[in-house]
Amino acid sequence: MKSLGTGGTVSDTIGGTARLMFYSLLAISMMALDYRGQYVERFRTVASHLVEPIFWAIELPFSSAGRIATSWRDRAETGQRIAELELAIVKARARLGRLTDLESENAQLRILLETARRTDQDVIAAEVASVDLDPFAHRILVRRGRGDGIRPGMPVIDSRGVLGQVEQVLLGMSQVILISDPDHALPVQILPSGERTIAYGSGSLDRLRLTDLPMNAQVDRGNVVVTSGIGGRFPPGLPVARIGSIQRQPGQAFATAIAAPLSAMDRNRLVLILESAPRVDENAPVQDSGAESGPDSPAGQAAEPAEDEDP
Amino acid sequence: MKRTGNLIPALTILAAILLTVMPLPEGLAVWRPHWVALVLIYWHLETGRLRSLGTAFAIGIVLDLTTGTLLGQHALGLVIINFLIGRFRNRLRFFPPWQQALAVGALLINERVVQLWIIGLLERGWPDWSWWLPPVTGMLLWPWLFLLLDALRSQRRLAR
Repeated sequence: MKSLGTGGTVSDTIGGTARLMFYSLLAISMMALDYRGQYVERFRTVASHLVEPIFWAIELPFSSAGRIATSWRDRAETGQRIAELELAIVKARARLGRLTDLESENAQLRILLETARRTDQDVIAAEVASVDLDPFAHRILVRRGRGDGIRPGMPVIDSRGVLGQVEQVLLGMSQVILISDPDHALPVQILPSGERTIAYGSGSLDRLRLTDLPMNAQVDRGNVVVTSGIGGRFPPGLPVARIGSIQRQPGQAFATAIAAPLSAMDRNRLVLILESAPRVDENAPVQDSGAESGPDSPAGQAAEPAEDEDP
Repeated sequence: MKRTGNLIPALTILAAILLTVMPLPEGLAVWRPHWVALVLIYWHLETGRLRSLGTAFAIGIVLDLTTGTLLGQHALGLVIINFLIGRFRNRLRFFPPWQQALAVGALLINERVVQLWIIGLLERGWPDWSWWLPPVTGMLLWPWLFLLLDALRSQRRLAR
């Protein structure tokens, strides 16, 4: 410890301030680049792999504790649980039977209408890792990674609605950006009027902002918002949110609405990752309609609004 | 000699990062102190290790990657903390524990202000009053953390 008790001379102070300026500027410019999704993206991708062991170090004790708890569960309790689940499956099957019927009917109608057939989606179930990320980062970590066939941009849903999309894939985990992140834009359609718009994250988990609605749009409280499928990354028709309020301010060109996401956002234990091969982005005729999301950010790219692209 | 000297600080920083992302029950999570800052403050203040701004920056980047924040967000906070300690170290070291805890609290609050500024610029939603709880926890924990790390350090010294 040769340096104990130093730090009083004038040159030291000046040097220290210069270093502070240097590192502060470095940090701020990195943040700016990261925010715009430029240059440092590559660094983040590589460096994230280095911190993956940290995630596992947290995750493993918790998941093994859970497993032990499950294996120690009482026999009678397990039997009861199985009976309950079997009942639930029977009920779900009955509903599914009706749905299959509807599906075939729908397919026939679609043939009549000569529209594209909805393809079946393969899903990957993923457990949410017990790792607490920064609450202001609007990200969750799931226990599926590159080895499980996860690719960046895959839509993530839970049993109630759209959750977000895969942003970063590590070896055995991936990071999911939630639709509530301010960087995230999701092309949606409001039912029943069929109004198309973009749902932006608001920065709080229980709200989405729907901007650029025509003033005379037939949108009311309680209407359901679903994905419109424009942009090609999310399949159409997935439930997203429910309209909470709509504001039509006089003097403004467009109305805005606030919607509450249907999915449980960061309180899930199990999520589904849709294995849709997103339509190849390069040939998709994406037109920038002046959305404010950064054009290079993964989220912005994913959900690049293309309102002029009406089918 | 130097390598072994930095092993313990590195391990405690790693432990602090683990504590930062360890899941806590809903009500407790808002009280989670800034573990990494606390450990960093201890090592810098007491031993002069990890005192360079570059080290603080590197630790901050690792923390950013782990918690999923913007690259540089925690780094900026830690760099400023390390700079301030470098400035006032000679005075802070000889404060009685409770006074030192207050000073640490001030450093943590300052870090929180920096974070608030960044979050405000990003328009990530305005945090509520619970935003200011972690510095309080950090301040209350400081004397105990101090004793714990002191014990760890002296044990290490005896062993050698």
